[in-house]
Amino acid sequence: MTALTPPEALGRRPLKALVQFVVLYGALPIIIALMYLGFGLIEPAFHSGENAINILKQSSYLAILAAGQLFALLTRGFDLSVGQLISLVSVAGGLVMLDVLEGSPGAVALAVFAGIAVGLGAGLATGVVNGVCVAVFRINPFVVTLGMLGICMGFATTLSDGFPVFNLPEGLTNTLSRADVIGIPVPVIAALLVLGTAYVILNHSVLGRSMYVIGSNPRAAHTAGLRSRLHLASAYVICSVFVAVGALLLTARTGSGEPNLGGGLMLQSIAAAVIGGVSLRGGEGKVIHAVYGALFVTVLSVGMNLIRVDGTIQQIILGIVVVAAVYLDQLRTRFR
Amino acid sequence: MVDTGLATERAVRAWRRILERSPAIGLLPILLILLFIFFGLYEPKFWRGANLINVLRNSSYLMIISAGQMLVLVIGGFDLSVGAVVALTSVAAGLVMADLYAAWPDAASLAIVIGLVVGLAVGSAIGVINGVTVAFLRVSPFMVTLGTMSIAFGLALYVTRGVPVYGLPDEFTREFGRLRWFNVPVVVYLTAGIIGVLWWVMNWTRLGRYVYAIGGNIHASRVSGIPTIAYIVITYTMCSFLAAVTGVLLTARVGSGEATLGTTLMLESIAAAVIGGVSLRGGVGRVEFVALGALFLALVTNGMNLLRVDSKIQTIVIGAVLIIAVGLDQMKIKGRGQ
Repeated sequence: MTALTPPEALGRRPLKALVQFVVLYGALPIIIALMYLGFGLIEPAFHSGENAINILKQSSYLAILAAGQLFALLTRGFDLSVGQLISLVSVAGGLVMLDVLEGSPGAVALAVFAGIAVGLGAGLATGVVNGVCVAVFRINPFVVTLGMLGICMGFATTLSDGFPVFNLPEGLTNTLSRADVIGIPVPVIAALLVLGTAYVILNHSVLGRSMYVIGSNPRAAHTAGLRSRLHLASAYVICSVFVAVGALLLTARTGSGEPNLGGGLMLQSIAAAVIGGVSLRGGEGKVIHAVYGALFVTVLSVGMNLIRVDGTIQQIILGIVVVAAVYLDQLRTRFR
Repeated sequence: MVDTGLATERAVRAWRRILERSPAIGLLPILLILLFIFFGLYEPKFWRGANLINVLRNSSYLMIISAGQMLVLVIGGFDLSVGAVVALTSVAAGLVMADLYAAWPDAASLAIVIGLVVGLAVGSAIGVINGVTVAFLRVSPFMVTLGTMSIAFGLALYVTRGVPVYGLPDEFTREFGRLRWFNVPVVVYLTAGIIGVLWWVMNWTRLGRYVYAIGGNIHASRVSGIPTIAYIVITYTMCSFLAAVTGVLLTARVGSGEATLGTTLMLESIAAAVIGGVSLRGGVGRVEFVALGALFLALVTNGMNLLRVDSKIQTIVIGAVLIIAVGLDQMKIKGRGQ
């Protein structure tokens, strides 16, 4: 009786099987599936294949950001600079592309590569500063990344003078946003690569396992002889680099370098990770949680857009749903 | 000879005492004084009475809301919704006042009083929701207040459609908002009063002691018979009430009900509290230092304005100053530990 596989159990005791599923995987996959079915009943267009791909594409950006945030959350920190880093990467990458194109018109590929390199470099630099301040100088991560939020915002607006960077090469949008490989859009592939990298780091490297220990018991990590400062700093570096990847994809989607690109994304990235099941107390969370959270937020907002819910009402509903989802997840841990 | 010897000895002893005590006071007051001198030397206008009063008034709003944030931080929580509460309060108070004033132009003071009561009540209601959800349902305060932030901003925008609420009684905006006693804005006295009351509450009342105790160790507090749930609800309500007070005061200052009023105050209030030495892990924090933290932020901003630093560069400087200030404080704590 105890070793029933889910389908067998489903036949005999559906309720018990459901509870088992929820305890094992959380209520979120079921809620996402119900939401997907529900929106389709109200508005049949929601169930079109086109919309399914749209949802996947939209959620891949948020999944990348949430995966980055996951690393900071795992080590008992968070990264508030995520949103403004997105703006900085977008502006800096965009400006470099324009500069290269001005110097040698026609070198689109070179321009795009240079822009991507500078964008990733900006992410790396931000992550290193965050990581060193948190791990070496032992400054509270909230303060460090809040300060970095201001610094990134300042640089993004100073570099761009507050205006979007227009006239980015068409090639950027064509390759990083519109193109697809055997039907799968490039952003989704990029998200799969980033999530795969995150999975390998977290589950198959000393660095990743060490992050779990640092998050659940920092002193034990230090006593066990782990290079905890280095690992803690790496968490912020990985977070910022992931975010830079997300920022470049978002820039490709809008087709311009935007100083306001990241405004609401800091809270969204944290919300997605935590809704997905990452603990704010550190040491608990998997890559799949970032995916769940991103899918949940995206299905909800795309669905509400399709059934024409007013934007401000959407904001209210999102707030209620966020609290309810976290509460349900809380219940699950209590049952276990 | 004897006298001077005694005098030097006394001076040395006094200096040593100051140095010994400085870790207890923290670096913040010293930083404040250094900044004060530096800005004044660079731009003598900074020392003018009018400018200093201006700094005081600008820091007042932040002081009130940061003091509320401190209460929640000390009890081991977090309040991301304070900025949204400012917006919602402003909109609610503004709508009620404008409507009543339009209906009965003679009864302006009645409209003001009812508007204030409604605004403060709506704001505090968000705090009750926060507190109940955190304490009863045991959802992480970060997520709860993130949710209520979204709800409160959404409500404020929905009710006003994003358009500011005009038509407030002149008695409210012109007279109350710009009232001065002895050439100092009334807001400054009000802030001093609020900080004083909170200082008394935190140091001399059961409420204060329990808040520190719950923040220090919630399990121990519960076991020793403190009704933790009730005190958590009270604390979140006080925090939102103080945010609502800030909302009302800012509404009087700008002269209209605005749904975009508090957007930056959430992060600023946490920054001021943390600069003032409040621990994000709960149990530690003093209201007088939080007030200094708010003053510090206002001083840096005002000084940079006078030095004509570009506002975009100002955000970079404030970010760096925040990290450095807390980093220095951290080094001081480490030095004391060794």
